[in-house]
Amino acid sequence: MNAPLIVAQGLGKSYPKVHRNSDRLRALGRLLFTGEDPDRISVLRDVNLEIRRGESLGLIGENGAGKSTLLKLITGVLTPTTGSVEVNGEIGALLELGAGFHPEYSGRDNIAMSAALHGLDGTELRKRLPEIIAFADIGRYIDEPVKHYSSGMVVRLGFAVIASLKPDLLVTDEVLAVGDESFQKKCVQWMQDYLAGGGTLILVSHSMYHIQKLCRHACWLRGGEVAMSGDVFDVTQAYLAYHEQKFAPKRNPQLAARGNVEFSVVSIALNDEESERPLLLDMGAALNVRARVHSRDGRVPCLAIGIVRADGTPVYGVSTEMDGCMPQRIGADEYLCELQFSDLALLPGNYSVRVHPLDSEGVRVFDTRERGLTIRGASRELGMVRLAHRWNHAPSGDTAP
Amino acid sequence: MSAAALTLRFARRDLNNRFAGSFSGGLWALFQPLLQLAVTSAVFVYVFKARVPGIDAPEYVPFLATALWPWVAFAEAVLRSTTAIQDNAALIGKVALPREILVLASVGTSFAIHIVGFIAIMLVLAVMGHGIHWQHLLPALLLYVPLLALALGLALICAAIQVFVRDLVQALGQLLPLLMFGAPVYYDRAQLPERFRWLLDFNPFTFYAESFRALLLDYGVFSFRHLGVALLGAAITLLIGRWLFHRLDPHFEDFL
Repeated sequence: MNAPLIVAQGLGKSYPKVHRNSDRLRALGRLLFTGEDPDRISVLRDVNLEIRRGESLGLIGENGAGKSTLLKLITGVLTPTTGSVEVNGEIGALLELGAGFHPEYSGRDNIAMSAALHGLDGTELRKRLPEIIAFADIGRYIDEPVKHYSSGMVVRLGFAVIASLKPDLLVTDEVLAVGDESFQKKCVQWMQDYLAGGGTLILVSHSMYHIQKLCRHACWLRGGEVAMSGDVFDVTQAYLAYHEQKFAPKRNPQLAARGNVEFSVVSIALNDEESERPLLLDMGAALNVRARVHSRDGRVPCLAIGIVRADGTPVYGVSTEMDGCMPQRIGADEYLCELQFSDLALLPGNYSVRVHPLDSEGVRVFDTRERGLTIRGASRELGMVRLAHRWNHAPSGDTAP
Repeated sequence: MSAAALTLRFARRDLNNRFAGSFSGGLWALFQPLLQLAVTSAVFVYVFKARVPGIDAPEYVPFLATALWPWVAFAEAVLRSTTAIQDNAALIGKVALPREILVLASVGTSFAIHIVGFIAIMLVLAVMGHGIHWQHLLPALLLYVPLLALALGLALICAAIQVFVRDLVQALGQLLPLLMFGAPVYYDRAQLPERFRWLLDFNPFTFYAESFRALLLDYGVFSFRHLGVALLGAAITLLIGRWLFHRLDPHFEDFL
């Protein structure tokens, strides 16, 4: 069961440059007689990938990073320009909207065609049709032509077909985003069951929430190359940090004009470390957040400090104003604040510490600065924090740590 | 599911595509060569006073019908399947499938429709006493096998090139009638000046036009040597078509 399902080696794809019609003719001649076409734009370079059965890989990256191209190469829709990809199993692929549906035909006809394309014969299809229609759950629209569908309905139909096929490998390309909340939940639920049943998944999504929820590994493509691959939390964290940094140049001019903002964060130190890298902590360790804030007019700021999970879910936040304390003045226009969490109850995972200076009244937010925080540990507890608890039926010595 | 079953499914969809939404449905495809036969034979018989040369010569209508139906099947198959890949660009970009199926299905539907029409018109002409040897209908139908292979070979070539050079289908629309008039469909070899007759042998359709007539009208001689050449020609065309199609197949997505 542990043979690699997909092995990609040195995979690359480039597209021909076709600007004028004569280019097409020239390309045809080259392809026919010399077998190659040198004038090309590269969209994917040297991707090495190995996916074993039962693994789940999230593919992330900016628009145009080559995610869809990689998926198309894996599914065999595209032919690689360099390298090779080897697939040892059935692939069920949902590439983009529509998945090859014919707009003039009814949902029912398109299910039949789609199933046939995935290798289902007539009797097998008749057996599964009710199940597919039930999963799609688009009511009477099933007998309407697909051109009258909303994009969500198209995705429902496409996913329903794939779901009924139970392929060895499921490949989906940013399709969940179009479905409504309940359908997304249904799909995520289905994919979790599918993974639990030994299925293999490659998911492209811009929702780090879905990636983290469904995938154990992630691969980050940047400009057609693998920027990073490995554990899903590490990769998504780095990816989000990269996006943060992309905004940084925009913030820099602001930084120069900081004098114009009433309050701004000068620096953050987590346990006396000021670097930009995420801080690594063991579960239950102490965390000390020290922030220096610049105040244009020398007024006393109010400081809010919070912890959010990597996907942005707030865990805890508190401000000086709430606790009735004041930042310490350390210069003509600079204030210092230090917050200590003595026994951090965060469960293992990736988090961020955010610092926001507010005006003296604690109403307006003037700035936001963030530092990564990774909690290590091997706890199987669920959620984000460990709440103080005790099993009352057992002697107190046996309670959880 | 096998490629054959998938081809059938595509062929059925192709049939549906052609007739879904059209008022007359599938009848139109059968009706079209009938109309062509009626109009052209009217013009040729009553305006040009066309007669088929020879003492035991058949009438002009069965003479034309025996060659016209196979031609329509052939020409329509090539012309329609030239855009088979281009028309299915949306499907090709999203689903991995053997693409020659699309061409095969398209060629297959054209032949299916016009073979049915052919059988019908031959039986009608036979019943009306126009000198059709209906006993020879079965061997005559076998001639459709190499004709289909020839059409499929050409269709594969054209469909692959059409992806790169989009003007091909327009050019074909002009070239196919030339090929038709260069074959003895509307006339007989004997009506050409002596010094041009040999040119007919370079037209791949000449053999089919003359052989259908030899079998069904007993007009002219059925040559097994020509059959051999035609079989070879069809096989070579099919092989070249497949080679070219598979050579260009990996690059379709880049140019669609």
